[in-house]
Amino acid sequence: MKPFTYVLPQTLAEASAAAKQPDTVLKGAGIDLIDRMKERLQTPAQVVNLLPLHKEMAGIAVAADGSVTIGAGTTLAMLEQHAAFATPALAGLRTAAATTASPQVRNRATVAGNLLQFTRCWYVRSEAFHCLHGGRGPTCLAMTGENRYHAVLGWQDCVRVHPSNLAPALLALDADYTTVLGDKRTTRKLRDLFPADPRAQNPEHTLQQGEIVTSITLPKQPEGTITVYGESREKETFDWATTACAVRLVLAGGTITAADLVLGAVAPVPLPRPQAAKLLVGQKPSSELFAKVAETAYAGASPLTHNAYKLTVGKAVVRDVLERASKGMS
Amino acid sequence: MSQHPAQDPSDGVEITVGYKALPGQQDRFEKRTVEPKTGDPLPWDANTQFQVVGTDVARVDGLAKASGRAKYAYDITFPGMLHGALLRAPIAKGKLKALSLDEASAMPGIAAVVALKEVGNKVRFVGDAIAAIAGVSQHAVRDALEKVRAEYEAEEHNVDYNVAEGAPLLDANGQVEDAWPEAKEIEEALGKAAVTHTGTYRTEVQTHSSLETHGGVAKWNGQDLDFWMSTQATFGVRGELARALQGRGIKVGTVTIHAEFVGGGFGSKFGAGIEGLACALLAHAAQKPVKLMLDRFEEHTTTGNRPGALMQARAGVDKDGKLVAWDWRSFGHAGFSGQGGSVAVPNYYAIATKPRREHKDLAIDTDPPRPMRAPGHPQGWFGVELFLDELAAKAGIDPLAFRLQNDREQIRQDQWRFGAAEFGWEKARAHQNAADARWRRGVGLASARWGQLGNQGRPAHGATCRVHQDGSVEIRSGSQDIGVGLKTVMAVLTAEELGAPLAAVNAIAGHTSDPSGPAAGGSMVTPSLAPAIRQAAYRAKLQLREMVAKHLGVPVGDVDCKNGKIGTGTAQLPWAEACKLIGPNPIDVRGERLANFEKPFHATQCGAQFAEVEVDTWTGIVHVTRMFGVQDCGLVIAKKQAESQVLGAMIQGVSYALHEQRIMDKRSGRMLNGDFLRYKITGPKDLPELRCHMHSIANGHDSVGAAGLGEPPSVASAAAIANAVFHALGAPVRHLPITPDKVLAALASKKA
Repeated sequence: MKPFTYVLPQTLAEASAAAKQPDTVLKGAGIDLIDRMKERLQTPAQVVNLLPLHKEMAGIAVAADGSVTIGAGTTLAMLEQHAAFATPALAGLRTAAATTASPQVRNRATVAGNLLQFTRCWYVRSEAFHCLHGGRGPTCLAMTGENRYHAVLGWQDCVRVHPSNLAPALLALDADYTTVLGDKRTTRKLRDLFPADPRAQNPEHTLQQGEIVTSITLPKQPEGTITVYGESREKETFDWATTACAVRLVLAGGTITAADLVLGAVAPVPLPRPQAAKLLVGQKPSSELFAKVAETAYAGASPLTHNAYKLTVGKAVVRDVLERASKGMS
Repeated sequence: MSQHPAQDPSDGVEITVGYKALPGQQDRFEKRTVEPKTGDPLPWDANTQFQVVGTDVARVDGLAKASGRAKYAYDITFPGMLHGALLRAPIAKGKLKALSLDEASAMPGIAAVVALKEVGNKVRFVGDAIAAIAGVSQHAVRDALEKVRAEYEAEEHNVDYNVAEGAPLLDANGQVEDAWPEAKEIEEALGKAAVTHTGTYRTEVQTHSSLETHGGVAKWNGQDLDFWMSTQATFGVRGELARALQGRGIKVGTVTIHAEFVGGGFGSKFGAGIEGLACALLAHAAQKPVKLMLDRFEEHTTTGNRPGALMQARAGVDKDGKLVAWDWRSFGHAGFSGQGGSVAVPNYYAIATKPRREHKDLAIDTDPPRPMRAPGHPQGWFGVELFLDELAAKAGIDPLAFRLQNDREQIRQDQWRFGAAEFGWEKARAHQNAADARWRRGVGLASARWGQLGNQGRPAHGATCRVHQDGSVEIRSGSQDIGVGLKTVMAVLTAEELGAPLAAVNAIAGHTSDPSGPAAGGSMVTPSLAPAIRQAAYRAKLQLREMVAKHLGVPVGDVDCKNGKIGTGTAQLPWAEACKLIGPNPIDVRGERLANFEKPFHATQCGAQFAEVEVDTWTGIVHVTRMFGVQDCGLVIAKKQAESQVLGAMIQGVSYALHEQRIMDKRSGRMLNGDFLRYKITGPKDLPELRCHMHSIANGHDSVGAAGLGEPPSVASAAAIANAVFHALGAPVRHLPITPDKVLAALASKKA
């Protein structure tokens, strides 16, 4: 690690002021950041630790209107254990939190940290390689190299995948995120946190220098909502997903009246698939329907040399998640 | 048999060897006449009534390890100690063209800089060591490493075995296309066989992944060097270091290695390595203690591995399912040296005609293999046992029936039958998966063997036993316990022989100032040291008996040491009271490892394992749901440690079967998953229900009769799992690890 200035703010205003200084990074639990700093992949001059702000930034609040606000510094373990997420409507988020990493990591890792974590691409995350990501080299090395864990959808010049478990589950719930930048507080749709054009040159997120995510808000879900999150991985203990899928179904009298479907771990950003979700609306659940939805979710896929298996696996996960949702098995 | 030697044991004593029936099987006992050497206790045999040996004692150093009191090389620290690190080559092949260390030496906090290669030297793989630096902190050293000016002349490299020189041509399904070399007898036998089969099998490179990385702390005192090292060969590395240092013109007095606690080795830690030499050189140059431990990437890429293998078999059976012909060729996945990739195969399946077994190693520009837990065996057994299951399926024979038909070993015949009953083989094997079932279940089995009855080399290995007047006992060996339970074995044997309370015995291992012992390799340590430990305790006991006999006024021949009491009839002293007779100078004796008796019950160790899997045919994910193993290791000394060896081997087998593989970037020659993030090792949530049965055998080859155990249980596990996957899918996955992409491909090929 290179020496750096370490800021322990007492208030959000202090953090916000420090965050605007050049060559400054924000640290939640540091699960991802500290690794990168140790490996000198990132060598900031200043690190602002947001954990001291847990009173302002961590916690889960259910409002009178039924919306749920999750502080950015809330740990994954808190999501996993909080009663608010025991309902079928929010169970997908709880599963996504509970299947992340290991119990030790979940006790520490924060919601915002999970959403903003850096890609796990083995070319991008090594100082030995100079790839297109971040403008370090002329080409994407994974595209023509070893790419079994890389993107099959929505990639352009860089085939990294977005590793967050929470992102698909939160996007399926139509979450908002709130930030502060200086003294300005803004709330936007969560999908705006991720670049619309996820090229190699673009960062993993759309935050401006100094902008701090303070909370995530989930709107009240209609009666009959069920959310399910599922993923494929090579092992159960502490592994990253090879494909992931979150769905939200609203069921009334055995008919699906509304649906959202979001894929994870298969594209440079968490990927909503509205065309696939649309097929569900107005239909009664059936295996045939779910198979068709799965095909549509992966329509237009461009697998690489070593990851075509992700299409078969990914579609199976979509079907599995839909089957579970339709049977009320969150 | 009496605890005491016969008047003249050179006439020979009769002992009973063999084993009590495994449940449902028969007793297998035989008589032997052996000739114990003078000064050695009479051998334990099948009739010996043990007090401590074979019981469920807890690991003697378990609490020290769990509480952090145990100090590994990594934990050793001294005031003013420096930190060292290595500069590694970034290219896979070429030459060092220029090297300047001046700027690095001048960096703040840097105390020593040593070149490990000279300009013009070859660079052989990514990670080849170029130079070493020591400084006041890891950060200072890292800064200085960035200031080393090293230039390279890169040559074209290759890290892909498929295109290595001498590699066979493969078809689109990964099957060898090259014709078999001519072999008339085999071809004639195959021509007459009722059923024949051929197949190509492949495994990937597995790294040792010891939790404690290589390295240690070097501290000079004048010309004497003390080195706290993470090693599995204390005496081997002592000599290696002394020679290497002298080769660099350094005057070396006594080198003492300390390895009291070692965080795993699995075969990768027999040498001091370039990191050990660099650490000693830096400490010498700086005249301060230096700690140099590798990081995880260096550990994965520069300290050896289990080589991958490409294996092809063809064979045939007659109408009764008996093997009539066997042809085999294998290609080992070695590193730059082109050596160390050998593959071992079972030799106990009876084959009517002379089998052919050919092997050659392929070289690529990577770190070479090192021995890894049963070198060559898990890969070879995977190839052979899966091939045999495919052949049996073609011939319409159950895999168990096929083994019983062809396996020549009586011990394993008993193990097959007992294990199958215990595992519920017949019922599980009869389970039919519905044609459209998403989850498919299957069971498989595989055999294991090993051959280790102790290293009897000269000069003889030994052990020191000291009994103090406060009742405490030291049992010491300079050999090392790399985590397998040697110290527990030492304590149990000593307590048994002395009749002392187990808690009174302190087992100390890992300092070369103590008597010599073997490297922790070949499952050698326990069978090599057990008789020496027992003899040391026995000699201490003889002295204590004399003191007690004199004190009690009874004939020494009547005095017995058992259950914490010493004496005879009503004249008994508790252990602690008896030890007070010793006085201030302890009983201090050495035991020696004598040669084995001539005819052991059995020269090799047998095992059999059974596995059940559940495969998600949608996602291709395999879960191992349960495993059972039966394993012989001669006399079981510490039951819990022995079982841990077997269960641990099964866990490693699950990991090898499903997860572990080195993934190389072809362009750079660099390992891509040189961490614990993408180098996947099985974890707690992936583990099946694991059970084992220790098949204790009175082998009668020395005074104890312990055989090797570290390696044998790791031979069968991956093969049994691969066979279970074959049973579940109805199509084999012939390439380890069995990852989802390969399962889906196997399912697709079955449909097509």
